[in-house]
Amino acid sequence: MTSLDDVFDFLGLYMAAHNIEASVAYSVNLAVEEFFTNMVKYSPENHNDIIISLSMESHGLTVSLVDSDVEPFDVTQTGDVDTAKLLHERKVGGLGIHLVKQMVDSVSYEYVNRHSKITFTKNLGK
Amino acid sequence: MFNIYVNETGNVALSGRFDASQVESATKVLNPIQKSVYVDFKDLDYISSAGLGILIMTQKRLAETGNSLTLINVNKMIRDIFHIARFDLIFKIE
Repeated sequence: MTSLDDVFDFLGLYMAAHNIEASVAYSVNLAVEEFFTNMVKYSPENHNDIIISLSMESHGLTVSLVDSDVEPFDVTQTGDVDTAKLLHERKVGGLGIHLVKQMVDSVSYEYVNRHSKITFTKNLGK
Repeated sequence: MFNIYVNETGNVALSGRFDASQVESATKVLNPIQKSVYVDFKDLDYISSAGLGILIMTQKRLAETGNSLTLINVNKMIRDIFHIARFDLIFKIE
C-alpha cells in the first residue's frame, strides 16, 4: 500500500464483503489510517510498501500493518493525550493514536529483523 | 472523495472523507476565515485526527478574536469521535 486512497479502497472492499457494521468499519478505517500515516511519518525516506492484512476470526477482526527496513517505533508506548486541557492548551500531536486506543480492543507491536508490525483487534458488535 | 467549500451563506460545508490526504485543501478554505461561522457536517462520512487537527487550529486562531466555529448536523459516529477526543468541550455542536 502506498497511498491512503488505496488503503481505503482495500478496506472498503473487505468490509463490504464481510458485511461489517458501519461503526466497526469506522473504527477499523480510523485505526489503519492513524497507524499507516504514523509509519509513513516516522520513516519518510523508506519507499517500501506497507503491507496491510485483515482476518476475520471468531471474536472479530484482526488487522496488521507491516513496514520493512525501518527503525523501531512502538506506538503502544506513546503517552496518553490530556484531553481535559482547555482550547489554548490543546495540542494535536498524539491525538490519532489516543483515539485508536479508545476505539479498538487491543493493540500490540513487534519489531523483528528491521520489520515493524502493528496488530490490532476490533470486536464485532461493539 | 472529500469536498470543503464556503457556501452561499458564508458558512462552511464538508462532505465525504476528511482524512490525512485532505489537509492542504481544507487549510486553503479554513485559513482565510476571520469570523464566526457554522461548519455543516451533514454530508461528512468520516474524519480522522488530521481533520480534527485542522479544525482545532482554526478554532484556536478564531478564539483570539472572540470568534468560533459551530458544528452542525454531526452524525453519531463523528460525534462519538469528538466525545472521545473531548473536542465536544471545545466546539459548540448543534
